[in-house]
Amino acid sequence: MANFSIFFFTSILLLPLLCQSFSTANPTDKRILVLLDDLAIKSSHSIFFKSLQQRGFKLDFKLADDPKISLHRYGQYLYDGLILFSPSINKFGGSFDLASVLEFVDSGHDLILAADSSASDLIREIANECGADFDEDSSAMVIDHTSYAVSNSEGDHTLIASDDFINSNVILGSKMIEAPVLFKGIGHTLNPVNSQVLKVLSASSSAYSANPETKFTSPPSLTGSRISLVSVVQARNNARILISGSLDLFSNRLFRSGVQMAGSLTKYPKSGNEQFATELSKWVFHERGHLKAVNVRHNKVGETDEPAMYRINDDLEYFVEIYEWSGTSWEPYVSDDVQVQFYMMSPYVLKTISADQKGLYYTSFKVPDVYGVFQFKVEYHRLGYTSLNLAKQIPVRPFRHNEYERFLTAAFPYYGSSFSTMAGFFVFTIIYLYNK
Amino acid sequence: MAKLSSSSSTTSDAKALFQTLRSAYSATPINLKIIDLYVIFAILTALIQVVYMALVGSFPFNSFLSGVLSCVGTAVLAVCLRIQVNKENKEFKDLPPERAFADFVLCNLVLHLVIMNFLG
Repeated sequence: MANFSIFFFTSILLLPLLCQSFSTANPTDKRILVLLDDLAIKSSHSIFFKSLQQRGFKLDFKLADDPKISLHRYGQYLYDGLILFSPSINKFGGSFDLASVLEFVDSGHDLILAADSSASDLIREIANECGADFDEDSSAMVIDHTSYAVSNSEGDHTLIASDDFINSNVILGSKMIEAPVLFKGIGHTLNPVNSQVLKVLSASSSAYSANPETKFTSPPSLTGSRISLVSVVQARNNARILISGSLDLFSNRLFRSGVQMAGSLTKYPKSGNEQFATELSKWVFHERGHLKAVNVRHNKVGETDEPAMYRINDDLEYFVEIYEWSGTSWEPYVSDDVQVQFYMMSPYVLKTISADQKGLYYTSFKVPDVYGVFQFKVEYHRLGYTSLNLAKQIPVRPFRHNEYERFLTAAFPYYGSSFSTMAGFFVFTIIYLYNK
Repeated sequence: MAKLSSSSSTTSDAKALFQTLRSAYSATPINLKIIDLYVIFAILTALIQVVYMALVGSFPFNSFLSGVLSCVGTAVLAVCLRIQVNKENKEFKDLPPERAFADFVLCNLVLHLVIMNFLG
């Protein structure tokens, strides 16, 4: 009984902490499910996993065919992120399948997917649903005879070194990745119509995708820089997905190995893989590039209260605060390209809003000479950042009958003529009646 | 030569025409002449306002409209009165001129009521 009451008491004390863990104020994922083909991957890719654990993630390793896999319990997701390091799995264990992966992403969670030359149909299908098409030839690998990584044996040039990164500090971190990234695996292409998916690491123009062991019977279907090696997706619900054609890219062996690109004299003691994978995982798990907008408010110039409606031609001020999540705290996000629209079917006013150092954006403008139901809209979509879509509705009314200007100087001749016609009428009446 | 004589004959024709018109108009009763004068006054005031509007722009457009329409309305009502009180119009033989004048006054009151409301 005493035991029970102590347990009860501590659990009540812990309640605030438990509530904290479900707080939505923290966008970084915390609990991550890692599905592996083989538990050996846990040790062969330990540097990558360790870097995640050091940043505070709780990794839950499971075999991909474990029958006890479940993503949610009692309608709540047990995990915030999913790492699929199980390229050859044909069917997940338990009730976990393609649909539940997609549902997981659709509910705003993040996914890292790595394939290699043994990629199964299931893995290809998941990638396909995310917008990346792996080469359909199941024996094909990306081969590059000009920018391969120099090694002791001549080899078949499937271990390629690429430094063709996406130009984005948000996705890859502000520190430039000096050394090329080693890649051994399969290539994929992106649908050019799909604007959500981005090529992060692309192959050089001399790369192609083919089976390295057989001779060509027909030209390779994927060639050149059209091949994407690593891609990311940011869905409309801000869920982030990383798709890599190489599981080895994350391995300790390639993290530690030195790299020298063919045709280049520079030999790097350490490949760019560790920095690349770490920075990319920071982005995928929302440690970077996650924006939030708070305290949207507006008022008439000279007032502080937010009015329920504006009159045409009023002068107004608009404020919004934008913060970026730095992994541990919300930092002010200062940019000079945020715009606000005063919108009714189409933007009547489109203004760039300027920020101070604390992330407070401010602008002022005149309400157009049109009345109706307007919206203040901020639609901010920038490469690598989560998209901001703010809309706040506000009606605009015309002048009241007693708000118009009276006795305008410009109208005096008209007033004069009206009164002179009246006087003329009076005089005419008298003359007409008494001229007998 | 023939041309000159023809042009001098047109001038004399025009002169003759005006003289006939003037002599015919002098036979017009005095009350109709008063009405004519009143109509000319209204039309002139309207013209002045149109010229003013062309110069300064149409900004208080309602004021401009009420100013011009008061003149036009006055002119139209005065012309109607002139038709009704003219003895030569057999059509209005049965309508006493007092009745016509009362109609005219009533219509003018309504017109100026509207104008005053639209002016500001």
